[in-house]
Amino acid sequence: MKSCLVATQIRKILLDVLKPHEPQIQELASKLGALPGISEVSISLAEIDQSTESIKVSIDGTDISIDSVRKTLEELGAVIHSIDQVSVAKKKKTSRSRQA
Amino acid sequence: MLAWIRRFREYLRLSGVASISRRYFVMNSFDGAMTMLGVILGASATGPADPRFVIGAGLGASFAMGVSGFSGAYMTERAERKKRLRKLRRAMLFDLRSTVHAKASFAASIWAAVIDGTSPAIAAAIPMIPYALALFQIAPSWSAFPVSMVSIFATLFVLGAFLGKISKENVMAAGLRMLAVGVITGVIVWALGSLRIG
Repeated sequence: MKSCLVATQIRKILLDVLKPHEPQIQELASKLGALPGISEVSISLAEIDQSTESIKVSIDGTDISIDSVRKTLEELGAVIHSIDQVSVAKKKKTSRSRQA
Repeated sequence: MLAWIRRFREYLRLSGVASISRRYFVMNSFDGAMTMLGVILGASATGPADPRFVIGAGLGASFAMGVSGFSGAYMTERAERKKRLRKLRRAMLFDLRSTVHAKASFAASIWAAVIDGTSPAIAAAIPMIPYALALFQIAPSWSAFPVSMVSIFATLFVLGAFLGKISKENVMAAGLRMLAVGVITGVIVWALGSLRIG
């Protein structure tokens, strides 16, 4: 007998993030890009004031872990204000069980 | 070990401590060199100075300047960095204690303290070397005074040239400017030391 196990994987997210001026966005992008399951990171500056910057972070990958992304951002002193967009894809897994 | 050093350097870069470190380094090296200039000239004004006196006074002064520099810089930098972190926390509405910013602040305080503590001590130790060599009879005793004077003036010139390089001015002129301060001070100290009182 054949059964199908379906899992979902996050392929793309768009985040609204608040961060201090340091570290700069290229360092942020490098640290996020090094996470497993992430293939591309794109960051653009939305707003800037005396102490902070608002940035849009677009992450593409095969299996993005939002918890890892959040943890990395927080270690760098950045905060996720909102998740503006998510793209998820199905991953099919097949298993065979012996006939009774 | 290498990973630790790399991380520490990253914290220093993030905290922007390089410019204040340069200031501490030059100011305190200048203090150390000028202190020894005063000690050596004051001791030598009425005759050749006893190397033991110069080394004893110099070591005492080096140690005091080192401790004062280290503790003063650490407490000052720590207070300033905490203030900056609090301001940032208010702007971010986020506790930054477990972030790279808190670690960078601590690293900056330690680095500034190390620079502030070691630079006067090293600058003061250099002119003591000729006297140590004379004390252990490795070099003739008459050479201690001129060699230590040359080392002090060379230190002042190098510090001035370093400042000139940073500010992209004429390095030679900047070095000579700092040297002139040392020479004028030396002349005044020598004159004061030669006064016969009573």
